[in-house]
Amino acid sequence: MSAFAAVGGSFVREHLRTRLTLALLVAIPVFFVLIFASVLGEFAKALGGTMSGNGATSAISAGWAAAFLCGALAFFQVSSSRGADRRLAAAGLGAARVASARIAAAVALGIVVSAVAFVTLWARSGIAHPWHAAAAILAFALIYVGVGALVGALIAAPLEGSLLVVLVFAVDAFSGPSMTSSGGILAHGPTRDATNLLIAAGTGEPSPGGDWLAVGAAVLLALAVAFGAFWLAARSRS
Amino acid sequence: MGSSQITVLRTATRCVVRATGVRKGFGHGVWPMRRRVEVLKGADLHVCPSELVGLVGENGSGKSTLMEILVGLLARDGGEVERPARLGYCPQLPMLWEKLTVDEHFALFARAYGMDDAARDRAAAGLLEELQFARYRGYRVEQLSGGTRQKLNLALALMHEPELLLLDEPYAGFDWETYLRFWEMSERRRDAGMGILIVSHFLTERERLDRVYTLADGRTDQP
Repeated sequence: MSAFAAVGGSFVREHLRTRLTLALLVAIPVFFVLIFASVLGEFAKALGGTMSGNGATSAISAGWAAAFLCGALAFFQVSSSRGADRRLAAAGLGAARVASARIAAAVALGIVVSAVAFVTLWARSGIAHPWHAAAAILAFALIYVGVGALVGALIAAPLEGSLLVVLVFAVDAFSGPSMTSSGGILAHGPTRDATNLLIAAGTGEPSPGGDWLAVGAAVLLALAVAFGAFWLAARSRS
Repeated sequence: MGSSQITVLRTATRCVVRATGVRKGFGHGVWPMRRRVEVLKGADLHVCPSELVGLVGENGSGKSTLMEILVGLLARDGGEVERPARLGYCPQLPMLWEKLTVDEHFALFARAYGMDDAARDRAAAGLLEELQFARYRGYRVEQLSGGTRQKLNLALALMHEPELLLLDEPYAGFDWETYLRFWEMSERRRDAGMGILIVSHFLTERERLDRVYTLADGRTDQP
Protein backbone atom coordinates (compact mmCIF):
# COMPACT_ATOMS: atom_id res chain seq x y z
CA MET A 1 0.00 0.00 0.00
CA SER A 2 1.38 3.44 -0.88
CA ALA A 3 2.14 5.97 1.85
CA PHE A 4 -0.55 8.23 0.41
CA ALA A 5 -3.26 5.56 0.65
CA ALA A 6 -2.12 4.43 4.10
CA VAL A 7 -2.05 7.92 5.57
CA GLY A 8 -5.29 8.99 3.85
CA GLY A 9 -7.00 5.80 5.06
CA SER A 10 -5.95 6.53 8.64
CA PHE A 11 -7.40 10.03 8.37
CA VAL A 12 -10.75 8.65 7.14
CA ARG A 13 -10.87 6.08 9.97
CA GLU A 14 -10.18 8.88 12.44
CA HIS A 15 -13.57 10.41 11.63
CA LEU A 16 -15.63 7.30 11.04
CA ARG A 17 -14.70 5.99 14.50
CA THR A 18 -16.75 8.70 16.18
CA ARG A 19 -20.19 7.21 16.80
CA LEU A 20 -21.85 10.62 16.95
CA THR A 21 -20.37 11.55 13.56
CA LEU A 22 -21.75 8.36 12.07
CA ALA A 23 -25.18 9.07 13.55
CA LEU A 24 -25.13 12.65 12.23
CA LEU A 25 -24.13 11.45 8.75
CA VAL A 26 -27.59 9.87 8.58
CA ALA A 27 -29.58 12.18 10.85
CA ILE A 28 -28.69 15.50 9.21
CA PRO A 29 -29.67 14.55 5.62
CA VAL A 30 -32.87 12.97 6.96
CA PHE A 31 -33.67 16.12 8.95
CA PHE A 32 -32.92 18.46 6.04
CA VAL A 33 -34.72 16.47 3.35
CA LEU A 34 -37.70 15.14 5.29
CA ILE A 35 -38.44 17.97 7.70
CA PHE A 36 -36.67 21.16 6.72
CA ALA A 37 -37.60 20.87 3.03
CA SER A 38 -41.29 20.93 3.87
CA VAL A 39 -41.07 24.47 5.24
CA LEU A 40 -38.40 25.76 2.87
CA GLY A 41 -40.94 27.12 0.40
CA GLU A 42 -42.45 29.25 3.20
CA PHE A 43 -38.97 30.51 4.12
CA ALA A 44 -38.27 31.49 0.52
CA LYS A 45 -41.63 33.24 0.26
CA ALA A 46 -40.92 35.22 3.44
CA LEU A 47 -37.51 36.27 2.09
CA GLY A 48 -38.98 37.34 -1.25
CA GLY A 49 -37.66 34.33 -3.14
CA THR A 50 -39.37 32.22 -5.78
CA MET A 51 -38.51 28.67 -4.69
CA SER A 52 -41.54 26.43 -4.43
CA GLY A 53 -42.56 22.88 -5.15
CA ASN A 54 -41.56 19.68 -3.47
CA GLY A 55 -38.95 18.68 -6.07
CA ALA A 56 -36.93 21.89 -5.75
CA THR A 57 -37.04 22.21 -1.95
CA SER A 58 -36.18 18.56 -1.32
CA ALA A 59 -33.30 18.66 -3.79
CA ILE A 60 -31.79 21.83 -2.38
CA SER A 61 -32.14 20.49 1.17
CA ALA A 62 -30.06 17.43 0.22
CA GLY A 63 -27.33 19.72 -1.13
CA TRP A 64 -27.33 21.80 2.02
CA ALA A 65 -27.11 18.70 4.21
CA ALA A 66 -24.01 17.56 2.31
CA ALA A 67 -22.49 21.05 2.46
CA PHE A 68 -23.13 21.47 6.18
CA LEU A 69 -21.68 18.08 7.11
CA CYS A 70 -18.61 18.39 4.86
CA GLY A 71 -17.86 21.93 6.03
CA ALA A 72 -17.95 20.80 9.66
CA LEU A 73 -15.89 17.63 8.99
CA ALA A 74 -13.23 19.54 7.04
CA PHE A 75 -13.03 22.19 9.76
CA PHE A 76 -12.48 19.57 12.45
CA GLN A 77 -9.97 17.69 10.27
CA VAL A 78 -7.77 20.78 10.48
CA SER A 79 -8.72 21.96 13.95
CA SER A 80 -8.40 18.72 15.90
CA SER A 81 -5.31 17.28 14.22
CA ARG A 82 -3.13 20.33 13.64
CA GLY A 83 -0.39 19.40 16.15
CA ALA A 84 -0.13 15.73 15.15
CA ASP A 85 -0.19 16.59 11.43
CA ARG A 86 2.64 19.10 11.90
CA ARG A 87 4.66 16.53 13.83
CA LEU A 88 4.11 13.93 11.09
CA ALA A 89 5.12 16.43 8.39
CA ALA A 90 8.27 17.43 10.32
CA ALA A 91 9.13 13.74 10.90
CA GLY A 92 9.71 13.40 7.17
CA LEU A 93 6.37 13.07 5.41
CA GLY A 94 6.30 16.75 4.46
CA ALA A 95 3.43 19.23 4.61
CA ALA A 96 2.43 18.66 0.96
CA ARG A 97 1.97 14.91 1.42
CA VAL A 98 0.06 15.38 4.67
CA ALA A 99 -2.18 17.91 2.90
CA SER A 100 -2.71 15.50 -0.03
CA ALA A 101 -3.75 12.72 2.36
CA ARG A 102 -6.11 15.11 4.15
CA ILE A 103 -7.69 16.15 0.81
CA ALA A 104 -8.12 12.49 -0.14
CA ALA A 105 -9.80 11.79 3.22
CA ALA A 106 -12.05 14.86 2.89
CA VAL A 107 -13.11 13.88 -0.64
CA ALA A 108 -13.80 10.29 0.49
CA LEU A 109 -15.95 11.58 3.37
CA GLY A 110 -17.64 14.00 0.94
CA ILE A 111 -18.60 11.10 -1.32
CA VAL A 112 -20.05 9.17 1.63
CA VAL A 113 -22.00 12.20 2.87
CA SER A 114 -23.27 12.98 -0.63
CA ALA A 115 -24.37 9.39 -1.15
CA VAL A 116 -26.38 9.44 2.09
CA ALA A 117 -27.98 12.77 1.14
CA PHE A 118 -28.75 11.51 -2.37
CA VAL A 119 -30.33 8.27 -1.15
CA THR A 120 -32.46 10.19 1.35
CA LEU A 121 -33.62 12.52 -1.41
CA TRP A 122 -34.33 9.58 -3.73
CA ALA A 123 -36.36 7.80 -1.05
CA ARG A 124 -38.29 10.96 -0.15
CA SER A 125 -39.49 12.22 -3.49
CA GLY A 126 -37.75 10.63 -6.43
CA ILE A 127 -35.60 12.81 -8.68
CA ALA A 128 -36.30 13.92 -12.24
CA HIS A 129 -32.58 13.97 -13.22
CA PRO A 130 -30.84 11.68 -10.71
CA TRP A 131 -27.31 11.90 -12.18
CA HIS A 132 -27.50 15.68 -12.31
CA ALA A 133 -28.70 15.74 -8.72
CA ALA A 134 -25.93 13.38 -7.54
CA ALA A 135 -23.26 15.51 -9.20
CA ALA A 136 -24.69 18.74 -7.80
CA ILE A 137 -24.93 17.31 -4.25
CA LEU A 138 -21.29 16.17 -4.48
CA ALA A 139 -20.36 19.67 -5.68
CA PHE A 140 -22.03 21.17 -2.60
CA ALA A 141 -20.01 18.78 -0.42
CA LEU A 142 -16.66 19.49 -2.08
CA ILE A 143 -17.17 23.26 -2.11
CA TYR A 144 -17.72 23.14 1.65
CA VAL A 145 -14.59 21.02 2.12
CA GLY A 146 -12.81 24.18 0.95
CA VAL A 147 -14.83 26.45 3.24
CA GLY A 148 -14.36 24.25 6.33
CA ALA A 149 -10.64 23.67 5.76
CA LEU A 150 -10.00 27.38 5.17
CA VAL A 151 -11.77 28.38 8.38
CA GLY A 152 -9.86 25.63 10.24
CA ALA A 153 -6.51 26.91 8.97
CA LEU A 154 -7.28 30.51 9.95
CA ILE A 155 -9.04 29.96 13.29
CA ALA A 156 -7.60 27.47 15.75
CA ALA A 157 -10.34 27.68 18.42
CA PRO A 158 -12.99 24.96 17.87
CA LEU A 159 -15.97 27.00 19.08
CA GLU A 160 -15.22 30.18 17.13
CA GLY A 161 -14.24 28.25 14.03
CA SER A 162 -17.29 26.02 13.96
CA LEU A 163 -19.56 29.04 14.51
CA LEU A 164 -17.92 30.78 11.55
CA VAL A 165 -18.51 27.72 9.34
CA VAL A 166 -22.18 27.80 10.36
CA LEU A 167 -22.37 31.55 9.64
CA VAL A 168 -20.88 31.16 6.15
CA PHE A 169 -23.27 28.27 5.50
CA ALA A 170 -26.32 30.23 6.69
CA VAL A 171 -25.49 33.33 4.64
CA ASP A 172 -24.73 31.22 1.57
CA ALA A 173 -27.86 29.09 1.89
CA PHE A 174 -30.39 31.82 2.62
CA SER A 175 -29.08 34.34 0.11
CA GLY A 176 -28.85 31.85 -2.78
CA PRO A 177 -30.87 31.75 -6.00
CA SER A 178 -34.64 31.48 -5.51
CA MET A 179 -34.32 31.96 -1.74
CA THR A 180 -34.33 35.75 -1.61
CA SER A 181 -35.19 38.75 -3.73
CA SER A 182 -32.07 40.68 -2.68
CA GLY A 183 -29.13 40.88 -5.08
CA GLY A 184 -25.66 42.26 -4.45
CA ILE A 185 -22.66 40.36 -3.20
CA LEU A 186 -24.71 38.03 -0.98
CA ALA A 187 -26.33 36.56 -4.09
CA HIS A 188 -22.91 35.26 -5.24
CA GLY A 189 -22.18 32.68 -2.56
CA PRO A 190 -19.92 29.69 -3.26
CA THR A 191 -22.81 27.32 -4.03
CA ARG A 192 -24.83 29.66 -6.27
CA ASP A 193 -24.33 27.64 -9.48
CA ALA A 194 -24.62 24.28 -7.73
CA THR A 195 -27.97 25.49 -6.37
CA ASN A 196 -29.19 26.27 -9.88
CA LEU A 197 -28.17 22.77 -11.03
CA LEU A 198 -29.81 21.07 -8.09
CA ILE A 199 -33.10 22.96 -8.42
CA ALA A 200 -33.17 22.11 -12.13
CA ALA A 201 -32.44 18.45 -11.38
CA GLY A 202 -35.21 18.36 -8.78
CA THR A 203 -37.83 19.98 -11.01
CA GLY A 204 -36.89 18.13 -14.20
CA GLU A 205 -35.62 21.18 -16.08
CA PRO A 206 -32.50 21.10 -18.26
CA SER A 207 -29.28 22.68 -17.01
CA PRO A 208 -27.25 24.97 -19.26
CA GLY A 209 -23.63 24.01 -19.95
CA GLY A 210 -22.49 27.28 -18.42
CA ASP A 211 -23.81 26.21 -15.03
CA TRP A 212 -21.88 22.93 -15.22
CA LEU A 213 -18.67 24.76 -16.13
CA ALA A 214 -19.17 27.25 -13.30
CA VAL A 215 -19.79 24.45 -10.80
CA GLY A 216 -16.69 22.58 -12.01
CA ALA A 217 -14.61 25.73 -11.59
CA ALA A 218 -16.03 26.34 -8.10
CA VAL A 219 -15.21 22.75 -7.05
CA LEU A 220 -11.65 22.98 -8.38
CA LEU A 221 -11.13 26.31 -6.66
CA ALA A 222 -12.53 24.93 -3.39
CA LEU A 223 -10.23 21.88 -3.53
CA ALA A 224 -7.24 24.14 -4.26
CA VAL A 225 -8.19 26.30 -1.27
CA ALA A 226 -8.59 23.18 0.88
CA PHE A 227 -5.16 21.89 -0.17
CA GLY A 228 -3.63 25.26 0.73
CA ALA A 229 -5.42 25.26 4.08
CA PHE A 230 -4.32 21.70 4.96
CA TRP A 231 -0.77 22.57 3.86
CA LEU A 232 -0.76 25.74 5.98
CA ALA A 233 -1.90 23.76 9.02
CA ALA A 234 0.79 21.08 8.57
CA ARG A 235 3.81 23.23 7.73
CA SER A 236 6.17 24.88 10.22
CA ARG A 237 4.66 27.91 11.96
CA SER A 238 6.14 31.38 11.58
CA MET B 1 9.60 37.04 7.98
CA GLY B 2 10.69 33.83 9.74
CA SER B 3 13.04 31.24 8.36
CA SER B 4 12.55 27.52 8.70
CA GLN B 5 15.53 26.67 6.52
CA ILE B 6 17.68 24.04 8.21
CA THR B 7 21.17 23.05 7.14
CA VAL B 8 21.47 19.26 7.20
CA LEU B 9 24.72 18.15 8.81
CA ARG B 10 26.84 15.48 7.17
CA THR B 11 27.82 12.55 9.35
CA ALA B 12 31.46 13.61 9.34
CA THR B 13 30.57 16.81 11.20
CA ARG B 14 31.48 16.61 14.88
CA CYS B 15 28.21 17.81 16.39
CA VAL B 16 24.76 16.42 15.65
CA VAL B 17 23.08 19.78 16.22
CA ARG B 18 24.44 23.30 16.29
CA ALA B 19 22.32 26.42 16.82
CA THR B 20 23.93 29.84 16.59
CA GLY B 21 22.36 33.18 17.50
CA VAL B 22 18.77 31.91 17.26
CA ARG B 23 16.21 34.71 17.63
CA LYS B 24 12.45 34.42 17.90
CA GLY B 25 9.66 36.80 18.86
CA PHE B 26 5.88 36.55 18.96
CA GLY B 27 3.29 39.26 18.30
CA HIS B 28 0.27 39.61 20.57
CA GLY B 29 -2.91 41.63 20.22
CA VAL B 30 -4.40 43.61 17.35
CA TRP B 31 -3.02 46.81 15.81
CA PRO B 32 -2.60 49.50 17.16
CA MET B 33 -2.35 47.69 20.52
CA ARG B 34 -0.12 44.98 19.05
CA ARG B 35 2.93 44.11 21.17
CA ARG B 36 5.90 41.96 20.32
CA VAL B 37 7.65 39.75 22.87
CA GLU B 38 11.18 38.63 22.06
CA VAL B 39 11.54 35.13 23.51
CA LEU B 40 14.91 34.15 22.09
CA LYS B 41 17.55 36.87 21.63
CA GLY B 42 20.51 34.90 20.36
CA ALA B 43 20.49 31.38 21.77
CA ASP B 44 23.47 29.13 21.03
CA LEU B 45 23.92 25.45 21.71
CA HIS B 46 25.46 22.33 20.30
CA VAL B 47 25.18 18.62 21.02
CA CYS B 48 27.75 16.04 19.92
CA PRO B 49 27.28 12.31 19.39
CA SER B 50 27.30 10.32 22.65
CA GLU B 51 26.25 13.36 24.68
CA LEU B 52 23.25 13.76 26.97
CA VAL B 53 22.75 17.50 27.26
CA GLY B 54 20.18 19.33 29.38
CA LEU B 55 18.34 22.55 28.62
CA VAL B 56 16.95 24.22 31.73
CA GLY B 57 15.22 27.51 32.43
CA GLU B 58 12.24 29.04 34.16
CA ASN B 59 8.70 28.56 32.89
CA GLY B 60 8.23 30.72 29.80
CA SER B 61 11.95 31.13 29.21
CA GLY B 62 11.68 29.74 25.66
CA LYS B 63 12.90 26.15 26.05
CA SER B 64 10.04 24.61 24.05
CA THR B 65 10.29 27.41 21.47
CA LEU B 66 13.97 26.62 20.95
CA MET B 67 13.17 22.91 20.68
CA GLU B 68 10.48 23.53 18.06
CA ILE B 69 12.92 25.68 16.06
CA LEU B 70 15.55 22.91 16.17
CA VAL B 71 12.97 20.36 14.97
CA GLY B 72 11.66 22.62 12.22
CA LEU B 73 8.12 23.00 13.58
CA LEU B 74 8.64 26.72 14.14
CA ALA B 75 10.38 29.23 11.89
CA ARG B 76 13.05 31.41 13.50
CA ASP B 77 13.53 35.15 13.03
CA GLY B 78 17.32 34.92 12.86
CA GLY B 79 20.36 32.77 13.51
CA GLU B 80 21.50 29.46 12.08
CA VAL B 81 20.52 25.85 12.77
CA GLU B 82 22.44 22.81 11.55
CA ARG B 83 21.10 19.37 12.33
CA PRO B 84 20.90 15.87 10.85
CA ALA B 85 18.03 14.75 8.62
CA ARG B 86 17.30 11.81 10.94
CA LEU B 87 16.12 13.17 14.27
CA GLY B 88 13.52 12.21 16.81
CA TYR B 89 11.34 14.70 18.65
CA CYS B 90 9.20 14.11 21.70
CA PRO B 91 7.03 17.20 22.36
CA GLN B 92 6.06 18.31 25.86
CA LEU B 93 2.34 17.72 25.18
CA PRO B 94 1.68 14.54 23.19
CA MET B 95 0.91 15.38 19.54
CA LEU B 96 -1.24 12.36 18.67
CA TRP B 97 -4.52 11.52 16.92
CA GLU B 98 -7.18 10.74 19.52
CA LYS B 99 -9.11 8.23 17.38
CA LEU B 100 -6.14 6.21 16.09
CA THR B 101 -4.62 3.23 17.88
CA VAL B 102 -1.09 2.82 19.18
CA ASP B 103 -0.24 0.50 16.26
CA GLU B 104 -1.68 2.94 13.74
CA HIS B 105 0.58 5.67 15.16
CA PHE B 106 3.62 3.44 14.68
CA ALA B 107 2.49 2.74 11.10
CA LEU B 108 2.05 6.43 10.25
CA PHE B 109 5.39 7.51 11.70
CA ALA B 110 7.17 4.56 10.06
CA ARG B 111 5.92 5.95 6.71
CA ALA B 112 7.24 9.38 7.61
CA TYR B 113 10.64 7.96 8.60
CA GLY B 114 10.83 5.83 5.45
CA MET B 115 10.90 2.49 7.33
CA ASP B 116 9.71 -0.71 5.69
CA ASP B 117 7.14 -2.98 7.37
CA ALA B 118 9.72 -5.35 8.88
CA ALA B 119 11.75 -2.49 10.39
CA ARG B 120 8.55 -0.91 11.71
CA ASP B 121 7.36 -4.13 13.38
CA ARG B 122 10.79 -4.74 14.90
CA ALA B 123 11.08 -1.18 16.25
CA ALA B 124 7.51 -1.08 17.57
CA ALA B 125 7.82 -4.46 19.31
CA GLY B 126 11.10 -3.42 20.95
CA LEU B 127 9.77 -0.10 22.24
CA LEU B 128 6.45 -1.57 23.42
CA GLU B 129 8.47 -4.07 25.42
CA GLU B 130 11.04 -1.57 26.66
CA LEU B 131 8.41 0.92 27.83
CA GLN B 132 6.03 -1.85 28.93
CA PHE B 133 2.83 -0.86 27.18
CA ALA B 134 2.49 -3.71 24.66
CA ARG B 135 -0.98 -4.63 25.96
CA TYR B 136 -2.29 -1.26 24.77
CA ARG B 137 -1.17 -1.55 21.15
CA GLY B 138 -4.76 -2.02 19.90
CA TYR B 139 -6.15 0.82 22.03
CA ARG B 140 -7.07 4.23 20.68
CA VAL B 141 -5.20 7.19 22.14
CA GLU B 142 -8.43 8.53 23.68
CA GLN B 143 -8.60 5.31 25.75
CA LEU B 144 -5.06 5.64 27.16
CA SER B 145 -4.00 7.15 30.48
CA GLY B 146 -1.79 10.25 30.47
CA GLY B 147 1.32 8.21 31.28
CA THR B 148 0.68 5.69 28.48
CA ARG B 149 0.10 8.52 25.99
CA GLN B 150 3.45 9.91 27.02
CA LYS B 151 5.07 6.50 26.47
CA LEU B 152 3.67 6.45 22.94
CA ASN B 153 4.79 10.05 22.44
CA LEU B 154 8.34 9.05 23.40
CA ALA B 155 8.32 5.77 21.45
CA LEU B 156 7.41 7.60 18.22
CA ALA B 157 10.51 9.76 18.62
CA LEU B 158 12.74 6.72 19.13
CA MET B 159 11.43 4.16 16.63
CA HIS B 160 13.86 5.03 13.80
CA GLU B 161 16.94 5.21 16.10
CA PRO B 162 17.74 8.82 15.21
CA GLU B 163 21.19 10.43 15.32
CA LEU B 164 19.74 13.28 17.36
CA LEU B 165 16.98 12.98 19.96
CA LEU B 166 15.17 16.11 21.16
CA LEU B 167 13.08 15.54 24.29
CA ASP B 168 10.86 18.25 25.77
CA GLU B 169 10.08 17.15 29.35
CA PRO B 170 9.30 13.65 28.08
CA TYR B 171 8.54 12.05 31.44
CA ALA B 172 5.48 14.09 32.49
CA GLY B 173 2.94 11.55 33.77
CA PHE B 174 5.45 8.71 34.17
CA ASP B 175 5.39 6.68 37.37
CA TRP B 176 8.67 6.32 39.28
CA GLU B 177 9.63 3.00 37.68
CA THR B 178 9.00 4.28 34.18
CA TYR B 179 10.89 7.47 35.01
CA LEU B 180 13.95 5.45 36.03
CA ARG B 181 13.59 3.23 32.96
CA PHE B 182 13.45 6.35 30.80
CA TRP B 183 16.84 7.48 32.09
CA GLU B 184 18.31 4.00 31.56
CA MET B 185 17.02 4.03 27.98
CA SER B 186 18.46 7.48 27.36
CA GLU B 187 21.85 6.61 28.83
CA ARG B 188 22.01 3.38 26.82
CA ARG B 189 21.30 5.24 23.60
CA ARG B 190 23.77 7.98 24.52
CA ASP B 191 26.43 5.30 25.05
CA ALA B 192 25.57 3.83 21.63
CA GLY B 193 26.37 7.17 19.96
CA MET B 194 23.09 9.09 19.93
CA GLY B 195 23.17 12.82 20.71
CA ILE B 196 20.36 13.74 23.12
CA LEU B 197 19.06 17.17 24.13
CA ILE B 198 16.51 17.13 26.92
CA VAL B 199 14.48 19.92 28.46
CA SER B 200 14.53 19.40 32.20
CA HIS B 201 13.85 21.49 35.27
CA PHE B 202 14.72 19.16 38.10
CA LEU B 203 18.01 19.92 39.85
CA THR B 204 18.32 16.26 40.80
CA GLU B 205 18.59 15.30 37.15
CA ARG B 206 21.68 17.41 36.50
CA GLU B 207 24.02 14.67 37.66
CA ARG B 208 22.66 12.43 34.89
CA LEU B 209 23.53 14.99 32.21
CA ASP B 210 26.90 15.49 30.52
CA ARG B 211 26.36 19.24 30.10
CA VAL B 212 23.58 21.68 30.92
CA TYR B 213 22.52 24.86 29.13
CA THR B 214 20.52 27.42 31.09
CA LEU B 215 18.14 29.55 29.05
CA ALA B 216 17.53 32.96 30.63
CA ASP B 217 16.54 36.31 29.11
CA GLY B 218 16.48 34.72 25.66
CA ARG B 219 20.07 33.53 25.74
CA THR B 220 21.77 30.25 26.65
CA ASP B 221 24.46 30.12 29.24
CA GLN B 222 26.61 27.07 29.95
CA PRO B 223 28.10 27.18 33.47
